[in-house]
Amino acid sequence: MALAGRGSPMMLSYSLPCLLGLPLLGVVAIALGAPARRTALWVSVLNCVPAFLAFGVVLRQGEILFGPEVTSIREVFPVQFRLAMDGLSLPLVLLTLVVTLSAVGVARAEVKRAKEYFLCLLLIGLGALGAFLSVDLFYFFSFHEVALIPSFLLIGIWGQGDRTGAAWRMTLYLMLGSLILLLGLIGLVWSAPETARTLDWRVLSETLRANPIRAENQFWLAGLLLVGFGTLVSLVPFHSWAPGGYASAPAPAAMLHAGVLKKFGLYGLLRLALPMTPLGWKEISWIIGVMLAANILYLGFASLAQRDFRWLLGFSSAMHMGTVFLGLIGGTVLGLGGALVLMVGHGFSAALGFAVAGEIGNRTGTTWMQDLGGLAQRAPKLWFYLLVAGMASIGLPGMANFAGEIMIFFGAWSAHPILVGIGAWGVVLSSIAMLRAIRGISTGACTAALVTHQTADLNGVKEVWPFALLTFFLFAIGFIPNLILGPARPVLERILQP
Amino acid sequence: MSGWFCPEVLLVLAGVVLILADSLVADGKKGWLPKLALVISFALLGWTLWGAGQPMPTSWGNLFVTDGLSLVFQPFFVLCLVGVTFMSVRYPMGKEEVVRAEFLALPFFSTAGLCLLASARDFLAIFLALELVAISLYLLAAFHRSRAASLEAGMKLLVMGGLSTGFLVMGIAWLYAATGSTDFSKILLDQAGRPASLAFLLAVGLILTGLAFKIAAVPFHAWAPDVYEGAPTPITSFLAIASKAAGFVLLLRVFGLGAFALDSVAVVFRPVLLTLGIATVTLGTLAALPQRNLKRYLAYSGIAHAGYMLLAFGTLGEAGMGTLVGYLWVYLLSSFPVFIFILEMERVHGSADLRHLDGLGQRDPGVALGLALCFLSMAGLPPLLGFSAKLSVFTTLWNAGEVPGLVVGVVMAVVGLGFYLMPIRAMYWEREADSIPAQRFPAFLVWILLMAGFFQLFLGLQPRPLVRLVERSLAPTSSSLFPEK
Repeated sequence: MALAGRGSPMMLSYSLPCLLGLPLLGVVAIALGAPARRTALWVSVLNCVPAFLAFGVVLRQGEILFGPEVTSIREVFPVQFRLAMDGLSLPLVLLTLVVTLSAVGVARAEVKRAKEYFLCLLLIGLGALGAFLSVDLFYFFSFHEVALIPSFLLIGIWGQGDRTGAAWRMTLYLMLGSLILLLGLIGLVWSAPETARTLDWRVLSETLRANPIRAENQFWLAGLLLVGFGTLVSLVPFHSWAPGGYASAPAPAAMLHAGVLKKFGLYGLLRLALPMTPLGWKEISWIIGVMLAANILYLGFASLAQRDFRWLLGFSSAMHMGTVFLGLIGGTVLGLGGALVLMVGHGFSAALGFAVAGEIGNRTGTTWMQDLGGLAQRAPKLWFYLLVAGMASIGLPGMANFAGEIMIFFGAWSAHPILVGIGAWGVVLSSIAMLRAIRGISTGACTAALVTHQTADLNGVKEVWPFALLTFFLFAIGFIPNLILGPARPVLERILQP
Repeated sequence: MSGWFCPEVLLVLAGVVLILADSLVADGKKGWLPKLALVISFALLGWTLWGAGQPMPTSWGNLFVTDGLSLVFQPFFVLCLVGVTFMSVRYPMGKEEVVRAEFLALPFFSTAGLCLLASARDFLAIFLALELVAISLYLLAAFHRSRAASLEAGMKLLVMGGLSTGFLVMGIAWLYAATGSTDFSKILLDQAGRPASLAFLLAVGLILTGLAFKIAAVPFHAWAPDVYEGAPTPITSFLAIASKAAGFVLLLRVFGLGAFALDSVAVVFRPVLLTLGIATVTLGTLAALPQRNLKRYLAYSGIAHAGYMLLAFGTLGEAGMGTLVGYLWVYLLSSFPVFIFILEMERVHGSADLRHLDGLGQRDPGVALGLALCFLSMAGLPPLLGFSAKLSVFTTLWNAGEVPGLVVGVVMAVVGLGFYLMPIRAMYWEREADSIPAQRFPAFLVWILLMAGFFQLFLGLQPRPLVRLVERSLAPTSSSLFPEK
């Protein structure tokens, strides 16, 4: 493991493997019998240290690299453990760290079979981090798959409702998406000229820029990548695993999945599909337009019909992905930037929403909105965070989601004015759904369980901090989107350059 | 060092020694025989690895050849033998202990036949070696003379094996009629550069049918689940892994490197092989879903794996052959630990029913983890070893432009994940801890399975040794397995 990145200090480049090593250590420690919740918490907190070191380097130099020199695919085994972080992966790594931390914070130490529970949570976080950091396509793909089985177990063992069906559907659906994606990746690698074939996507995208793939092949490759990544992002019609899966998952798992893991699909499209198959992407953008309109309208109306708060969150979380896709086909840096901000903002807001839903469920034993009421009166702190999550999801100015959506709408206006109109209509739909839910849950007669529950509200700093942490980032990015956009801008510009 | 010390000769000698020892030692003092067999098999494994590269005795004429393929697969088969012997040590024999030595010795003869198969370069040699393997296996499958299932297994294996041998012999006869020889290189020379005659193609088809029985490819697969279920578990593992691998090694020898490596054959038989592969993958995967007995379950899983290997091999290119060799090793490494587990499960619970797995994740977390990793590796989930194999299959198909095979492979991989998740589901979420009986597995099982699981992970992240093995296997020259030594 020689070679640090271009000019980045040797020692600091080791912060990247540290980012993955710490959760792995945590997993091993928990498996060997360390106290589960405390270990998971410590690992998630400590992981911020290498993260901040890496962030520092990225902010100063634009990127940080770790790993051996790139080799050609003609090697015996061309896979290499190379990691990198630049302005595009930085916000997603930040998102992963924060959501993992608060998911572990929300999880209860008394949960049954705590060891396996926290182990699975850490593994999902590890998979997401690895996928965002990996440069080698082998690891890029593998790390995402690492999260598959823990999600299966989390939903199956600790889930609620139709947990068995949800777990099977989600796992198999995601596996199908991943394999289609795998075919797309194989296709990308093998369309590079023979001497320059490599699994390193940084090199590969430069190679394919210099030697573009033939237009008709680009069409098919972009299509494969769209279906593969689109399934992971729950793009209609590949979405049906998502709402039910999130509704059945225990809160921390839903937070990690809806907040972080789903963003992997969008990240992959930004990283691979847009720069490597630009012509194909343009050619299929009308198909994407139809799909994303369906995402916004169909899932938006479906979310109106939901009677269970978890299901509503599931549908609205899948629906917002349509807006992100609008940014991706807008063809402007502004639109891409908006997509990135919305990805991150939605990650925080979805996590907050599922965390609140989980707490409500813990206290009342139900998340059916008609059975709920009086939250504002009996549990004001919990209600506040419910409000924050709801408002963020609607896109209230001041929150990260607003910043993202407005940039997307402006960025996509010139190319797709009709879709922007549909996107704006989506904001209306999600407002109706969310406001109705908030009204139903927080006002009216108090739920019986809330009255009798000893600590109806969040109990002190110990229970509040995960919510506060997510809220902080929602507002911070909402007020200063440049926190994300500044470092990401050069990367996004490079993506759109021919 | 004389070439007479090659593994085949030593294997036969070891078998003879075991039988002699059994007849010379008094009854009641034979407890150490299985351990002796185990020691011998380990010694032989070391010998094949260390002495790899020993050329075969010249007096065997043109029947055998020592090349990369035989060098790579001799250790493979001897490793299977070690596993079987190890399981035999743990295998409860009941009243039939009097005939125990045969149970130990026959796998040695069978392995000798397998090693010969790996180096055969003449159809006569193939026939002889195959019969040496098969006859030993008929006896072993029916070893429990008092148990109906075992007898049924032996009977089915005998009939089906006989049928497949019939096809093979018929094919060889037609081949001799068409080309005037059974020697690979002579057939190649004779047929190169001219259109294949009908008789020749018929011969190839008959031989392929014979081999399809051996690898349990659809539609010649029906014997496998029943035989696997009824045969003694150590023998099941040998049938499932070594015997299947033998079929594939023969395919490699005959279609890939040897007699039928001709364009005229490829034109006709490439679609046939690919269709076989598609059918095998599909049926193996779908039929596995309702299985509730772990041995039958593994039988269908093995059929599905055979389908993937056929798909890769069916492209008839070098990439496909390499994939096949690698896949066979992956198959060995991921399914043998499961067979060892099944044996112990039968000892503890009395049957191989899937419901005995319920709650294993809490009762025996180490065993469950190792087992889960093996199953997930078979499912082809990264970063485990099985993913590299599947990836290699998909890449091969992609580069060959075989869209139907690719689509079926991908869809069946998803369904496959579904059925490999079944035992995992049973182990981790089926029953709560309090309703679990307190029976425990022996301590060594934990270590074996954990080690196997670790191997899946380690080799999955770093399959370089395996890739080197594949490269060596396709090299034409005979040199040591470990060139740096």
